[in-house]
Amino acid sequence: MGNKATEFMHGIRPHIRATRTTKEIMSDVVIALVPALIGSIYFFGIQSLILVLTAVTTCVLSEYLWQRLRKEPIRVGDVSAVVTGILLAFNFPATTPIWIIMVASVFSIIVAKQIFGGIGNNFANPALMGRALIMLLWPGNIAQYVTTNHGAADAVSSATVLSLLKSGKEIVDYSYLDMFIGNIPGALGETSKLLLLIGFLYLCYRQVVNFSATLTYIITVVAITFIFGGDGFFTGDILTNLLGGGLILGACFMITDYPSVAPRVKVSIAFLAGVITAYIRIWGILPEGVCFGILVGNCLSGLVEQVIRPHIYGVNLKKSNLN
Amino acid sequence: MKYSSRNDFHGGIHCSDGTDKELSNKNPIRFYQPKTVEISMKQSAGSSGEVAVSIGDRVTKGQLIGTPTRFGTANIHASINGTVQDIVTTKDSQDNDITYVVIETDTPDETGEKNRTPNTTEYHRGFVDISSISKEDIITSMKEGGLIGMGGAGFPTHVKYETTNQIDYVLINAAECEPYLTCDHRLMLEYGYAILNGVCLFLKAAGAKKAILCMEDNKRDAAEHLSNLLFQKDLPIEIKLLRTRYPQGGEKQLIEAVIGMEVPAGKLPADIGVIINNVGTAKALADLIFAQTPLVSRCITVTGKVKKPSNFIVPIGTRYAELIELCGGFTTVNNRVIVGGPMTGTAVLFGGGVSDLEGSVTKTSSGLLVLEDQIIIETPCIRCGQCERICPAGLAPFKIDFACINEDYTLCEKLYATECISCGSCSYVCPASRELAHRTTKAKIEVLKLRMERRKKHNG
Repeated sequence: MGNKATEFMHGIRPHIRATRTTKEIMSDVVIALVPALIGSIYFFGIQSLILVLTAVTTCVLSEYLWQRLRKEPIRVGDVSAVVTGILLAFNFPATTPIWIIMVASVFSIIVAKQIFGGIGNNFANPALMGRALIMLLWPGNIAQYVTTNHGAADAVSSATVLSLLKSGKEIVDYSYLDMFIGNIPGALGETSKLLLLIGFLYLCYRQVVNFSATLTYIITVVAITFIFGGDGFFTGDILTNLLGGGLILGACFMITDYPSVAPRVKVSIAFLAGVITAYIRIWGILPEGVCFGILVGNCLSGLVEQVIRPHIYGVNLKKSNLN
Repeated sequence: MKYSSRNDFHGGIHCSDGTDKELSNKNPIRFYQPKTVEISMKQSAGSSGEVAVSIGDRVTKGQLIGTPTRFGTANIHASINGTVQDIVTTKDSQDNDITYVVIETDTPDETGEKNRTPNTTEYHRGFVDISSISKEDIITSMKEGGLIGMGGAGFPTHVKYETTNQIDYVLINAAECEPYLTCDHRLMLEYGYAILNGVCLFLKAAGAKKAILCMEDNKRDAAEHLSNLLFQKDLPIEIKLLRTRYPQGGEKQLIEAVIGMEVPAGKLPADIGVIINNVGTAKALADLIFAQTPLVSRCITVTGKVKKPSNFIVPIGTRYAELIELCGGFTTVNNRVIVGGPMTGTAVLFGGGVSDLEGSVTKTSSGLLVLEDQIIIETPCIRCGQCERICPAGLAPFKIDFACINEDYTLCEKLYATECISCGSCSYVCPASRELAHRTTKAKIEVLKLRMERRKKHNG
């Protein structure tokens, strides 16, 4: 929206402005992602850093080249491509081939973001779009989850906690504390709930995001999986559903993404995304539903906005207002 | 004194940390009597007057020199004794024609001394019995005395009181929510009785049962001072402290916060039984009724990047340049001079010297503000939703911005651009520095034009 070249304007009221810029907001998100990045390097080794750097570089380069070739104003400096890159890499396991990451990055930036008009115009979260593409095209290449390899020489292939839960097996290898700290197999950035929450609290403190959508999303997913996820009603495993997969990453950094969720109805969108996520987790083919849950929420954003009308001052007042 | 923190309006921003007001809120009001005044025939936006004197005429303070030619304009009076030296027509910063009547004083020290000791007359020292003054008298005086809203919009006061609606409340707007401005704050501290007497007159003119004096909680000292004056006086005047939040002083926002009702779109506050007046207007009414002085002077805050920020009471028509010089001149070369507050004021000078500053004090100039000039470069909207969250009218400025750039005014209408109050909060918060308020205001004007054409078509 509003990417047209803007006329030069000077001296327009208001004459004072808040100092926060787009770049600062995006930099804050990057800072908030750093703890989880460090955690992923600790748990999955240097391969993690390589993947993140690949994703970031590819994202920034493809955005720069696109803008350069299309002779658009170069806006790479706003750091938004860096955020997309980090979040994208966070969605893949450490064994992902580098070329997969590069393809996903190019797709995220060019198809999901720039074709729709660049920053602010993407209808869905670019990082999740990248992941969705790879999940559909090369699912085998990103299915190799490994155990955390601190100490051990070789990483051992392993099922994720959620796929164990889905197949009905008992989860014996990992305690809830392991899940919270991040000592479980999973995608790079999703495992350590502790470090993600630290980053999220920083974002809340900086007032970059509001926790209402995050909370709604988490509560919806946990409540539905608790009610329907077990053998009978109200027997689902709350903590595994909360801590076992990418729920916290999605809730803290994906559902809060600005452009893909209409701001006024973000709580409703978070609720819808939560329903889809929980549905996939319980009845779907995939063990994890965060990615598609949020993407569906993103797509419904416009519709929900039409259904839930804003209250305009003085318009459509109740009769009581007029004495 | 009642503090209400629960009563609030929707949205709003916290744009002042208090330091901006501290520049001038401890400085007592100064008086200044210029040698010449240039009285504009356009005292408020959208008004226009016709000169009623000719060059060489001797005029006395309070004599009628301009009559309204358009709805929304009030009488204009000479603000000093003297001779009409010139009648000039120039262009203002928005390139509109604007006519000035230049009056040069012939009695150097007239009234200045009297003004300096203002607390001599009865209505400055205590409450005055107004039982002998009728409602019609007050309204007629308002009309003849050229009383207009002194908060900024400048709507003629008598028009508000000529309503046929039953008025329950008179709200006195002393919120002064614009950063930097302190003139209303100082008025309340120094002219407490005059203001409260004015409020009593408003009550009488409206036939209302209660007046509520509303201010933000950064003016606690003024609220306490006025409460002390009202102590055991058994007057239907309540003082209400509101949260310091912009635009608390917006007419519709104040009603929402204090009365808890919304003014229906396209209606006036009087339609829900409320009249709002600025606190400065209350003082002006007291001056008008008890001292027979029409609206010929006002309180103005000169602040920002000047050596000595001050509050003044000056005759209407005092040149802005003189006021800046009285405050010791600019302290920055790269300046931007604004008439009014920083949020809704109009920039009149960029980076010039004091002598380049044109224009003079009007009935609506509440402040003369010098800020550091800055160039704003717009970047794409990131749809963070800040503007929508803080919009006091409940609009989505980022959508209107987009529709306005595409000149899709039908869409602007569907997005209720007409309900914009032009407070500027959206542009203030925008991290992408988009000129949201500017375009939403533009969209509002275009939509109103569109409606007018539609009505013409319908009727023709």
